[in-house]
Amino acid sequence: MDPGDRHEERFGYAAIARAPRLTALAVIAAFLLWAHFASGIPVFHSDVSSERGWEKFRADYGIGHFGSDGQFVRAVQNGYNLFFHTYKYAPRFTRKSSADPVNSCAACHSPEDLAYSFVNSDRFDPRLGTRLSFEDRVRRCYVASVDGFVPTVFDPAVRDIRLLARAVAHHLQLSEGALRTEK
Amino acid sequence: MPKLPGKLFRVTVLLVAFGSLYLVALHKHAEREEIRKAAVALTPGCTEKLGRYGLTPGEQYESPYVAQRAAVRTVARGYSEEDVRAVQRGCNIVDDSQGTLASEPWRERWNAKRFIRGSHASCDHCHRGIGDLQDASGNRLPGSNSLAASWTMGDMYDRFTGLLLPYELRQMQCYINSSNGFKPNLADDVIRDVTAYSRFLSGALDLKIANHYEEQGIDEIPASATLKQGDDYIRGEALYKDKCQGCHGLQGLGLELNGQLIAPAVAGPNAWNLQSRNNFYFVSTILAGFICRNMPPGQENTLQHQDCRDVAFYISNLPRPAGDRQGPIAALQQQLFMAVMPPLLRLSGSSKAPPPPLEHASASTPEKVRVENAE
Repeated sequence: MDPGDRHEERFGYAAIARAPRLTALAVIAAFLLWAHFASGIPVFHSDVSSERGWEKFRADYGIGHFGSDGQFVRAVQNGYNLFFHTYKYAPRFTRKSSADPVNSCAACHSPEDLAYSFVNSDRFDPRLGTRLSFEDRVRRCYVASVDGFVPTVFDPAVRDIRLLARAVAHHLQLSEGALRTEK
Repeated sequence: MPKLPGKLFRVTVLLVAFGSLYLVALHKHAEREEIRKAAVALTPGCTEKLGRYGLTPGEQYESPYVAQRAAVRTVARGYSEEDVRAVQRGCNIVDDSQGTLASEPWRERWNAKRFIRGSHASCDHCHRGIGDLQDASGNRLPGSNSLAASWTMGDMYDRFTGLLLPYELRQMQCYINSSNGFKPNLADDVIRDVTAYSRFLSGALDLKIANHYEEQGIDEIPASATLKQGDDYIRGEALYKDKCQGCHGLQGLGLELNGQLIAPAVAGPNAWNLQSRNNFYFVSTILAGFICRNMPPGQENTLQHQDCRDVAFYISNLPRPAGDRQGPIAALQQQLFMAVMPPLLRLSGSSKAPPPPLEHASASTPEKVRVENAE
């Protein structure tokens, strides 16, 4: 075998050896592009889907007060989505579907309920015999009212609902322990 | 067959070990429950503060402070006996984190000391006035690092961490960096009781959720609030020796008399670490603001902005512990400095000349920037 053949052989092997790597790289790149632009899966991008009614809610409750597109506003928007479309945005934590009549937090609560609950949280619950935080109450709702599973307190499914409650409480200018006078 | 007794023995040992751990956990839970139900012995400061704000169990709560200051009645949800005890414990932790005033610190402060390195750090050192500093007339002081105002602004964007930082995580940061200690669990009573106290304060002062108040955070002093002559170590050292050394000591190691803390350490193993926001090299504006606003005691607001920045710069150059994310090499280096520098400085410790006169910017019209989340 002359040196030229050996070179071709080596070159051929190298090309063959490189092909799977290039393919793997292409697949990874394609996956990243698909995940970011086309998948629609929230975890892959920082945008929050804009559900029907958000713009009116944002105007009504003065959410823009915190900035046009800050982290806080986006978290509140995610809280809005979770609150009104729980089955769609927290499918891991509920067994409910779009066909169920009670499939979201909004089926039982109004945003004002949430705000008043927030400023009255971290208090003793005589029924349970313990002090309950707002997050504990949200987690209990996931388990009982929407027949699902318990998120951790760090999960956006809990955190963003608290941020929504905080934004509404700010709009209503509530202070700690505020009592609801109108119904 | 002969192997069976050996296997049986190992399984039994494992079961006994796990069973014992389970029993210990049950015992600890019962103990915590018992502490939650026990009456709270308040520190003198908390007795005065909570008494003035009328904290008693009841269906409704009316703040005497608001009634007196604003001449309006604000009726809010009252506090149960359990809630009152949580607020009292939280106040005690803020006022006396190390439990030096407690007969049983491990019970009365949830042993908050286990999350703090050293014997000096206490929440009240930065969050003065037990987290609610007021003047003699009861006016809340701007830039006083109020816990109440900090609670109302919880969950907001924090420019240092880049997070929407919940109030509980802020407390964790205080334990890790400003107390150079360890992170409590989010659900630990140490955290929850301080939250309960902060929430009570915000109710007593009738602060509204997510409103910005003057007393939140610290008045930062950026270089732009000075004549921009540069932060000077030598000038800072001379000023420190003139104004601060009497209480905080030559090396900044603090002052204890008969086991009582007179002035906390600003350097050395009992001080905040390099990753604290008090550290000039991390955030140059906060410690300077704190010094101008609070130091020296009895002569607050007398130092010029450049003086405060110089002193802060000098203090931050004294050896102190490394932060928990700086790795073992930095930790070793800082430990070495802390061991070697004090004796060396003691040997060469001759007093320096007084600071050169400085043309100051007007102290009465400072450009101040507020920080919302100083630890």
